[in-house]
Amino acid sequence: MRRAVVVRRIVVVGGGIAGVGTVAALRAGGFDGDLTLVDAGEFPYDRPPLSKDFLKGDKDIKDIALQPQQWYDDQAVRLASLTTVTALRPDVGGVELSDGTTLPADRVVLATGGHAARPPIPGVASPLVHVLRTAEDADRLRSALTLGARVLVVGAGLIGAEVASTALDLGCDVVLVDPVHPPLAHAVGADVATWLHDLHTRWGIRTVHAGLESLVDRGAEVEAPGIGVFDVVVLGVGMAPDTALARAAGLDVDRGVLVDERQVTSTPAVLAVGDSARLRDGTRTEHWEAAQHDGQRAAATILGLPAPTTTAPWFWTDRHNLHVEVVGDMAAADVTVIRGSFDTPPFAVFGLRDGRVVGAVAVDDSTAVRAARRMIDRTLAVDPGRLADTAVDLRKLLRG
Amino acid sequence: MSTGIRVASLEDIPEGEGIAVAKDVTGTADDIALLRDYDGSVWALDDTCTHETASLADGWVEGGYVECPLHSSKFCLKSGEVQGLPATKSTCPHRVEIRDGEVYLFPNEAP
Ligand SMILES: Cc1cc2nc3c(=O)[nH]c(=O)nc-3n(C[C@H](O)[C@H](O)[C@H](O)COP(=O)(O)OP(=O)(O)OC[C@H]3O[C@@H](n4cnc5c(N)ncnc54)[C@H](O)[C@@H]3O)c2cc1C
Ligand code: FES
Repeated sequence: MRRAVVVRRIVVVGGGIAGVGTVAALRAGGFDGDLTLVDAGEFPYDRPPLSKDFLKGDKDIKDIALQPQQWYDDQAVRLASLTTVTALRPDVGGVELSDGTTLPADRVVLATGGHAARPPIPGVASPLVHVLRTAEDADRLRSALTLGARVLVVGAGLIGAEVASTALDLGCDVVLVDPVHPPLAHAVGADVATWLHDLHTRWGIRTVHAGLESLVDRGAEVEAPGIGVFDVVVLGVGMAPDTALARAAGLDVDRGVLVDERQVTSTPAVLAVGDSARLRDGTRTEHWEAAQHDGQRAAATILGLPAPTTTAPWFWTDRHNLHVEVVGDMAAADVTVIRGSFDTPPFAVFGLRDGRVVGAVAVDDSTAVRAARRMIDRTLAVDPGRLADTAVDLRKLLRG
Repeated sequence: MSTGIRVASLEDIPEGEGIAVAKDVTGTADDIALLRDYDGSVWALDDTCTHETASLADGWVEGGYVECPLHSSKFCLKSGEVQGLPATKSTCPHRVEIRDGEVYLFPNEAP
């Protein structure tokens, strides 16, 4: 006979949105046992501002705290800050901490996120070469982004484009290089991707369509052969999930800690959420809301509650004073419908498949994306002509 | 007892949407968003999202909540209570009365 294990002690490893989302959902779901959130930093903070207002200097670290300090006390969450988990010990039911102690746990939730990737090219170790994942990275980068600094941003995806835009705002002379043209086509469709990428040129950024093969460290500056000479290089070429703890504990790891649809890893007492986790047979997502939803799902699993309802994936990004939102899966569309005009945002593009909306991307049009999300979630059949007609209220279309 | 400030006609606010009333009209620290739900009710909250600078009057109103147009934190229309991240602070609700199709606002009075 199997006996139900009473879960009394939970340790969440990593205080990003996934980890904080997990502890919040555990308490909201009625868990009243011991709850510890272990994080390497001083306190959990939010990452999206790191390439936006925080990098610009309009916000400081306190402004981007994920929760005020008081919240952890109110929620009876023990926040073990400036502490890292050095090993998982599912065998003894606990985790080892950097202070040498062992923390007992009936369930462990891995929310370790990842670190910025550095491509293995010559010259990449120069101190003038930056990455952006943490607040320390952003502080270091900000102090290099001085007026007139010659900046090379490598990678024109989400973070690269945001950094290029912010560096331009700070008065830098910016070059953006990417081997793919247009970048982000898989996420937003080729037309919007081209339009978004062309914005850089319109604002005075030089875009280069090339792969960066090497950098030459010249002491006070860095040369990118064939592109130019720079005071600062920023790599925005993706992130690598932090899976070392899982791997060392013998959990299944393959481009992320592998989990099932309930966020459970190959070891039943260990769950994984956020940027570091990958659904077996699925792709790993690296977006804010998805990480939070993982945490809510993990909490429901631990508490034996029904899984939260799923909704189409959504993320936002900002560049050149425009707010871009993407929902669903534009790559799944066979027809696209434009609402508004690319010449005069706001506008939105809907992706349809078999007469149903499967994705949407909107520039400064929050209503379009929220309507699209509901259309996707309800698998609503829509008339493309009415979607395109800006005189038709999308809220009404949704309500039939 | 105050009779409130007449700030709009009900028909000025489509269901599921909001409009902002300027702070020099309301006499409050922030502009006030008038938000109309699908059951016909109208609610008033401080307009600026507590997370960054979005106007909640541009938000998505449905089922007793308004969803911020920038990063989608939700706020309870009645109490102003924040429902989830990235915002962490609740916003301030104000009392609204509808008389003869006109919307009257009572700034800083609890609904
Ligand atoms: C610059 C930047 C801008 C972004 N902008 C957007 C945006 O506009 N929109 C959007 O949707 N998404 C954006 N994202 C993505 C979003 O921030 C991530 O998807 C999200 O941070 C993932 O959360 P997470 O909790 O899984 O991981 P993380 O945020 O990486 O958090 C992991 C935490 O775990 C800690 N940790 C790791 N290992 C250990 C250990 N062994 N012991 C203790 N602590 C540990 C780390 O220190 C870290 O604090 C952005 C990301 C970056 C980097
Ligand atoms: S400004 Fe409202 S959630 Fe960010």
